[in-house]
Amino acid sequence: MTENEKHTIRKLLYKSLIALIVLALLDILYYFTLYPKDLEENCSLMEISMRGEKGVDIVYLGESSNFSSAETDTDKRYICVMIDDLLPEHNVGNLSKSACHAGIYYDILRNIPKRNEVKTAIVTVNMRSFTTEWIYSNLEPALRKEQIMMKKAPTLFRRMLLAFKAYPSWTEEERSAMLTEGFKKQTFTLPHPFPFHNAYDWDHEVGTNCVMFDGSHPALDTIALACHHIKHFAYTLDDKNPRIKDLDNIVKLCRKRGWQPVFNILAENVDQVDSLCDPNLMYLLKRNVQYVTDRYEAMGVITVNNLTAVRDASFLDRDFPTEHYDQVGRQAIAENVAATIKQRLP
Amino acid sequence: MLFNSIEFLIFFPIVTLLFYLMPHKWRWLLLLAASCFFYMWFIPKYIFILLITILIDYSAGILMEKWKEDIPRKKTCLVVSIISTCLVLFIFKYLNFCSANLVALAQHFGWSHPQRILNIALPIGLSFHTFQSLSYVIEVYRGNQKAEHHFGYYALYVMFYPQLVTGPIERPQNLLRQLHEHKELQYDNIANGLRLILFGLFLKMVVADNLGMYVDKIYESPFDYSSGDILLGMLFYSFQIYGDFFGYSTIALGCALTMGFSLMDNFKTPYLSDSVQEFWRRWHISLSTWFRDYLYIPLGGNRVSIPRWALNTLIVFTVCGIWHGANWTFMIWGFAYGVLLIIERGLRNIHLFDKIEGKTGRILIKIGNVTKTFVIVTLLWSVFRATSFGNLHDLFSALLHNGALESQLQVAPVAWMSLILFALADIVIRKSRFDVWCGSQKPLIRWCVYAFLIFAVIALSSVEQIPFIYFQF
Repeated sequence: MTENEKHTIRKLLYKSLIALIVLALLDILYYFTLYPKDLEENCSLMEISMRGEKGVDIVYLGESSNFSSAETDTDKRYICVMIDDLLPEHNVGNLSKSACHAGIYYDILRNIPKRNEVKTAIVTVNMRSFTTEWIYSNLEPALRKEQIMMKKAPTLFRRMLLAFKAYPSWTEEERSAMLTEGFKKQTFTLPHPFPFHNAYDWDHEVGTNCVMFDGSHPALDTIALACHHIKHFAYTLDDKNPRIKDLDNIVKLCRKRGWQPVFNILAENVDQVDSLCDPNLMYLLKRNVQYVTDRYEAMGVITVNNLTAVRDASFLDRDFPTEHYDQVGRQAIAENVAATIKQRLP
Repeated sequence: MLFNSIEFLIFFPIVTLLFYLMPHKWRWLLLLAASCFFYMWFIPKYIFILLITILIDYSAGILMEKWKEDIPRKKTCLVVSIISTCLVLFIFKYLNFCSANLVALAQHFGWSHPQRILNIALPIGLSFHTFQSLSYVIEVYRGNQKAEHHFGYYALYVMFYPQLVTGPIERPQNLLRQLHEHKELQYDNIANGLRLILFGLFLKMVVADNLGMYVDKIYESPFDYSSGDILLGMLFYSFQIYGDFFGYSTIALGCALTMGFSLMDNFKTPYLSDSVQEFWRRWHISLSTWFRDYLYIPLGGNRVSIPRWALNTLIVFTVCGIWHGANWTFMIWGFAYGVLLIIERGLRNIHLFDKIEGKTGRILIKIGNVTKTFVIVTLLWSVFRATSFGNLHDLFSALLHNGALESQLQVAPVAWMSLILFALADIVIRKSRFDVWCGSQKPLIRWCVYAFLIFAVIALSSVEQIPFIYFQF
């Protein structure tokens, strides 16, 4: 190294130090000027977290299942409001947003202000949220973008991540490729021989040959619905799933902050799965729910298994598996959750 | 990889650091690997298309040198190389356009012609590296450049990551020579390079992206906006495209400079030009000089009769338009500039303002000419920006008929601020370059400028994903 190069390095180090000081000052400037507005415009999740600040001892974290309702419903109350009504001695706060999942719930919970009266956190567990379709959902980039401003980092650094687009952004083509790859990796194991080992192959077989498991050839929309069920429920859940890691983090966070976690496993349209799909799919669905229940009960979480709590007639969407229920369905979920809390919480 | 992405913020310092840590004889390999990585970040398989272009022109260069005394073979080699390189560009960029137009033409005459559409995306930066590759073979043919025998250096010349995607379109005499040189770590190079990167990021992320949000809305549904809004949208687009492209070029220059490589300037305050001819001397200089050297001059340049010169001008500018994209709007945009240049030359002998004397008079004439040129350029940008003739028709219909509508555009102060600052900066640095201007300031002023730019890039930039406009070319 020449003398000139050594001199350059010394000068660069000195200037870098000044740059760091400037950045620290800019961080303060940003925090007191533009940060509140940025938070308001780019991070509605933070506002959701703030709802846990005062007056609520139970927070309910959910997605669209919490507030979807049928046009014919006379009772439009959200699930969390129904729970609140069923537990008059408690105040339930609504911390919900469409398309949320455990990763987002973790950040919402983490950002609940230190001064709070929360004792219990009801976390919605949607069995579809573990799968490829949800992980690469086209609603995910917007959520991840919002998540940036909730990170544990200096405010200016968070804004920098936002400015430099440190969140996924994929075209429809890229998303489609990721979905295909994802379904191929969405594997499952059954206790007996089965011709397929991943969701892609199973879905492809049913979708291409248009033959149902019972050998029938129904209308194409029925085939399409069966394929959707396969893509959403054909997997074997284990601790490598990113959502399981997020749920683990939620448990740790709740322990740290002294909150009792309650995992509210949502109802799926098992009637439809039963009638449209091979019985092995129902086996996998039940097996995965059991996995969640066993894993988290062992960690001290109260789990509420609603898998079969809602009948086919109460599901709003008929051509795609969702957890959108009418008032009967929402009431059933709320009653189960409220009853479990009454029974298991002092 | 995008310059304004978090990945690039990690990639750039690592590559620069490794460049200086590595012995000179291995630096080409590092830069080539980094450039491949940079390019493959978009769509990995397109690297093979780039490789085809590189192989064709690399071989052509060596063969032309081998047959330098055998003119017919040398010429054949050049022609084959140009045709094959352009063929790749044609297939990816123009084939679908031609096919669609043939179908339309056939339908017009009542003939049946099946439309064959290739389901392929345009590889990013194809037009840029095709032209850079062509400039190499032409220069070797002309004897101005020795053929590069080291495949790695030649590949790096085409793929050098700072200018790989949207230029500046370099000449072998400048870049290839520098790639062989040993670059020592120098404070001035690092400081100037970082200044350029920061300024480039400001132009793209604060100016272009904040204005782009309004432009997109207006061009998408012009009938929803008043005439005033549409005029504002046109003005904003002028500054958006300038900020966007100047920003990219400035970042490219900065990245190269941190490693000691000097790339050509692509812009010199084009909106301060007092004629269309001058505008093209200052806008996208690497492309306009490419067309001048490899098309305009071979066609005869200025040394031909006036009708022939007019024809040459129309050809050059129409080709320049088509180079930008496979769309009639680009062709018309380029053709219109050709026509304007011819008119400008025709008017040169009419001395309308000869009687105006004195400094004030000259300044007023200058301001008038600059304004006139800016208005022309802005109007033509609307042809460039329109997605189709239908879109352009809608825009001008709305401009002429929506006068009574109330303004729907609520422009955020940050957009106005960025536009005004950009215009001021353009005037301040018109005689030098941002890095040079900044380096000549007192430390306190310099650090205030840095602090402002850093704050603006981080806190005032748009949070929406708006790709670089020239990526589509």
